Amino acid sequence: MSQLAAPLPRGRPASLAARMLLASFVLAVLVAAAFAILLLAVFALREATERESRAKDVTAASLELEKLVVDLETGTRGLAITGDERFLVPWDEAREQLPERLRSFEQLAGPDLVQRRRARQLVALIRAYINDYSVPLIAIARDTPAAASSPDAVFEGRQRIDNIRKEFAQFRDAENRLAAASASSANEESRRSIGLAATGLVASALLIIGFGVFLARSIGGPVRSVAAGATRLAAGELSLRLPRGGPGEVGELTQAFNSMAEGLERNRTELETQNAQLRESEQLKSELVSIVSHEIRTPLASVLGFTALLRQREVDDETRSRYLEIIETQGHRLAALLDEFLDVQRIEEGQLELVHAPVDLAAVLAAQVELFSAQSEAHRLELTLRGARLRVSGDADRLSQVVANLLSNAIKYSPEGGLVEVVGERNETVVRVSVRDEGVGIPEEQRDRIFTKFFRGDAAASGITGSGLGLAFARAIVIALGGRMDFTSAAGRGSTFWFELPAAEGG
Amino acid sequence: MKTILICEDDFALRELIRAAVGSAYRVVEASDGNDAVELVREFEPDLVILDLMLPGRSGAEVLAAMRADPKTAATPVVVVTAWTHIDEDMLAAGASRFVRKPFDPDELRNTVEELLPEQ
Repeated sequence: MSQLAAPLPRGRPASLAARMLLASFVLAVLVAAAFAILLLAVFALREATERESRAKDVTAASLELEKLVVDLETGTRGLAITGDERFLVPWDEAREQLPERLRSFEQLAGPDLVQRRRARQLVALIRAYINDYSVPLIAIARDTPAAASSPDAVFEGRQRIDNIRKEFAQFRDAENRLAAASASSANEESRRSIGLAATGLVASALLIIGFGVFLARSIGGPVRSVAAGATRLAAGELSLRLPRGGPGEVGELTQAFNSMAEGLERNRTELETQNAQLRESEQLKSELVSIVSHEIRTPLASVLGFTALLRQREVDDETRSRYLEIIETQGHRLAALLDEFLDVQRIEEGQLELVHAPVDLAAVLAAQVELFSAQSEAHRLELTLRGARLRVSGDADRLSQVVANLLSNAIKYSPEGGLVEVVGERNETVVRVSVRDEGVGIPEEQRDRIFTKFFRGDAAASGITGSGLGLAFARAIVIALGGRMDFTSAAGRGSTFWFELPAAEGG
Repeated sequence: MKTILICEDDFALRELIRAAVGSAYRVVEASDGNDAVELVREFEPDLVILDLMLPGRSGAEVLAAMRADPKTAATPVVVVTAWTHIDEDMLAAGASRFVRKPFDPDELRNTVEELLPEQ
């Protein structure tokens, strides 16, 4: 068992295939052992039976031999006492049969050494009786019958025969004892073997049932759950995960299933996100088309309209010059609009080239605030500069555009008479510019999209013009110059947009 | 002399419209929707030229306010717009004519004269 388990890598449960092989092997060994024990019991019983029958044969042979010896003695004694030769008829017959009987008796005397020695001794005693007593006595009886029938001679014969018969009795007793012992040990052994084998077989049966239950639970259950999971997964339930665990390969199967479901779900989420982005981008594009169309039409209407007026109507020189001025201004406005679109495009493609030169943001703020104050009479613009010079490294034209976008938004989204506060200050290592308005503010739900291109909140519905590019453009510039831009706002109570740029050395 | 109210937030276009209708009318100007509604009440103009994209109240809201007031319910309104897809709605709301940006100044003057015939 340990030999099978040992080569497996540590820290990992044995593979299911290895475990099944191992279990089958153990069961096979167990069943084989049980049968081997039974087989041994059968052999032992057969041996005991054989031994018993041989013991019977030996007993029978010894009885016959004893009878022959008694016949010899009867014949010898009868002749010795009576001198009658008729007594020698059974003696001769016994003599004739004796060698054969002796041989078979010696052969039958079992494997037990003590018995064999006894048998040999008996044979020797019987031979000694015949050669040393019976045959000489018969010869004496024929010569001198009185000597042969003497009490001494009769006594010696009786003594020899008694001795032989006592030996026979001992031999048979021992043989019976041996047979009985052998039978009882065989019985004992077979009983123990049958018990052991039966226990082994019952244990094997229980193990087989246990193995079946283990297979059903550890393989059948998980495989069913994977199959059911696959059906649900196919039906679109991609968030489905199977409980972890299960032995070896089954564990790997559920784990693989879970990774597959995870992959599928991730792919679907990615696709859904991409889809949503595509839809949004499509919507933005279609919005862009109408925004561009509107934004271009307004200056274009002025250019074409005043041109038509100049051609169709008689106008004095002053009016003509004024119309031409308007045409020029609106033409520039169209060009600026086009530039703005192109700039955003370049920023998106990472192709906008920015100058890095010393710029005084205080001067930029002052110039832009003056410009917007002149354009919008309805709003009050208030500039606060903390520090005479706010030096940064950057692109003066682009930074002017950034400030202009923030001011333009603050004015566009504020009521007339509203205050627009512009603050420029230096905090430690950064120069910070903030533009606060008292306008409509930005609802929380639009917060994330406010810097998105073409996003204009509720502006279109409120009739506020614009391309929706200003903030996206402004933030991209600030980020490209190593700064950041964000805002705070409360719907209905105005917004504060701010940006920070690293302060230049000596600023 | 008849009075025309021009509601247009773009400075240049406002001047173009004023020049286009000519000097035969008294012209009042509004640059956002709120001003427009106030001036309509104040002057009760004979005709209104209305841009749709106005700050404050939109052109559509100005038109709805006019139609809701019995004194100005029948006043002709020429809608000037850069949009191309809201004609049906605006006609239903009571616009008399449409002039699409960019427009020909003479065409605008003809439209105005058509709506304000000489008595």
